[in-house]
Amino acid sequence: MSFRDLMRMALGSLHRQKLRSSLTISGVVIAIGAFVAMLSFGAGNQRMIADQFDDLGLFTTMLVFPSATGDSLQLDEAAVDRLSEINGVRLAYPYDHFDVEVSWGDTTVSVGAQALPTAALQTKYYTNLKAGRLSDEGSGTILVTEELLDHLQVEDADSFIGQNIVVAVKSASFDSAVARLFSDPDGNLQDRFASMEMDSLWEDGYLEGILRQELNAGTKRFLDGYLNAQALTEESFEICGVIQGGGSRRNRILPVILPIETARRFDAAGPSADPMELVPRIMQGEIFSRSPLSGKSYSQVTLDLHQYASHRAVSDSVESMGFEAFSFASQFEEIRRVMLFFNMGLGLVGLVALVTAALGIANTMVMSILERRREIGILRSLGAQPRDIRSLFLVESGAIGALGSLGGILLGWLVARAASMVAKIIMRNQDVQEMELFATPLWLIGFAMAVGILVAVLAGSYPARRAARVDPVEALRQE
Amino acid sequence: MSEVRLSCFDLSRHYERGPQTVRALDGVSLELREGEFLALVGSSGSGKSTLLNLVAGLDRPSKGDVEVKGRSLSDLNQRDLANYRARHTGMIFQSFNLIGHYSALENVALALAFTGTPHTQRAEQARAQLSELGLSDRVDHRPADLSGGEQQRVAIARALVTDPDLLFADEPTGNLDQDNSQQIVELLAGLCGKGRSVLMTTHDLELAGRYAHRILRLNYGRIEDERELPQNRRES
Ligand SMILES: Nc1ncnc2c1ncn2[C@@H]1O[C@H](COP(=O)(O)OP(=O)(O)O)[C@@H](O)[C@H]1O
Ligand SMILES: [Mg+2]
Repeated sequence: MSFRDLMRMALGSLHRQKLRSSLTISGVVIAIGAFVAMLSFGAGNQRMIADQFDDLGLFTTMLVFPSATGDSLQLDEAAVDRLSEINGVRLAYPYDHFDVEVSWGDTTVSVGAQALPTAALQTKYYTNLKAGRLSDEGSGTILVTEELLDHLQVEDADSFIGQNIVVAVKSASFDSAVARLFSDPDGNLQDRFASMEMDSLWEDGYLEGILRQELNAGTKRFLDGYLNAQALTEESFEICGVIQGGGSRRNRILPVILPIETARRFDAAGPSADPMELVPRIMQGEIFSRSPLSGKSYSQVTLDLHQYASHRAVSDSVESMGFEAFSFASQFEEIRRVMLFFNMGLGLVGLVALVTAALGIANTMVMSILERRREIGILRSLGAQPRDIRSLFLVESGAIGALGSLGGILLGWLVARAASMVAKIIMRNQDVQEMELFATPLWLIGFAMAVGILVAVLAGSYPARRAARVDPVEALRQE
Repeated sequence: MSEVRLSCFDLSRHYERGPQTVRALDGVSLELREGEFLALVGSSGSGKSTLLNLVAGLDRPSKGDVEVKGRSLSDLNQRDLANYRARHTGMIFQSFNLIGHYSALENVALALAFTGTPHTQRAEQARAQLSELGLSDRVDHRPADLSGGEQQRVAIARALVTDPDLLFADEPTGNLDQDNSQQIVELLAGLCGKGRSVLMTTHDLELAGRYAHRILRLNYGRIEDERELPQNRRES
């Protein structure tokens, strides 16, 4: 009997027993589906670690924040220095950001800018250069991200290299604030003075009320002048490089990367117009000083680690200094742990399903032998050898395996897609860069197919041997 | 006299039934010549089917031997024995033994799967064989849609399509009415000659007497009686 004959007979027999065949095949579909989903995770993980994660330098980046609990230690220059001395830390640099206005030709946009030392730019986190080269400090050049190009509606990064932009920062105007404190632009101080009831002046709370009212109005005038009558400090640059934007939400790369020198100049121009900066200035009794905040503190410090540095050791040191550490790697480990459980669950389902599917196949084939004894006898009388009969049943169970594997591969792929979506939602919520944790390469599909067929053929081997041993004389005997 | 095609020597088939030994066949020797129509008669349980299964190479004897054209079947391995069944024998049964979910054509073509006939030629040959037996308008029918006589003729077509030199028919008329029985036996008698011999078992002595060239009577696994019927030989 040729393989074609065997195949045709096997498929015909599966086709005749539609319900039983489809139930048996479903078992294989579930088993192979679980396997494919599981292996997709493994394959995806491997691929992702290999290129994406490492590429982005996330394994060598750690973020430090002021502790959220208790009276928090400031992340100031001194703290940055101490952080940079931790074993395993290559570089520590603060997240020093400004709200700037960028003018290019006739276009002006308001964007975020951050100051970064040259060394930081050379870390993996920033080295996704799209066009040009990294800027050199003090040479009047500047590095921007693709995001700025979006804002300016520039399509081609290369064409932007060498263009000139003007970066300006607004600072609070101390002078106009003081002027407004004393001069009342509404000009009705006299009226209010006139309307004061001198008789009631010494009555309980009357004077206090007036005083409160005047202080409120005065403070409002001061802050209006402080925040709104802003002074502009600007500097012109030549674009030397465009890098990929993005980064994670926690460590976003802002559109404009200022040389440290420029940042110093912007700082020296006066207090930031950012209302948030008022509080620390007031707290430190420096609201009226012209200079930048003496103990300037940062919301975040980025640590660039040595390639083989222990994240745990570094984050322990950071925490013992009274700060909070956030490591992409450990975050990633957590996601992987969750996914591993998911994976083990799938593996268990796959294993149980595979065993069940194998039993189902064996059962189906044994039933098939009982029903087809006469057919076996006829085939033998026509010239089939016992091994032909064995092959017939092996091909039949193999066909169950193949059909089940096809369905299983499809199911597994769908499960992997769904799990990938869930994982991405978790990543987004946990503030980790979104990554593809699943991959279904061709070898995996081939492997799943092979496993499905192999398991099915193994499950069918006992029934097949039994079928081959059916005595044709018995089978053909008159019932 | 024509050449001996098949011979049995002291052929026995015993079944162990606990302490008892059932001697289904007990030392049978016979010869089947080319072109001969040999009928095997005997009451039920006398060992007719057992003998047929042995000479057809479906069963192995406990003792003795079957020789086909001078070659002993006991010397053949499973593969050669299967080959012998596929190319040299055709079997016909009382209960037809057609595959119920196959059409007449598919049943007949199935026999060609074991002779190495290319797929493209099988249907054609099967159709021709069915036409030869007057079944050209029944090729697509399933066995259940055919009469007993038609089913038996499909079975004969299946036996003949590989052009075997030995036809073994085990009570081919057992499930048929008188008219159909007569037609089938007449058909088998007509197939003898041209290098083909027929060995048929039956308990219809009257029918056997009308067509067979020779009748052997089996009783308790032994040949009890042999009768020549020269008037049924065509050349006479
Ligand atoms: N597998 C078996 N086990 C035991 N006895 C058997 C077996 N097959 C056949 N027999 C016995 O052998 C004898 C001959 O059977 P069989 O050749 O079928 O007779 P016939 O075809 O002449 O009716 C019967 O007595 C039967 O019971
Ligand atoms: Mg019988």
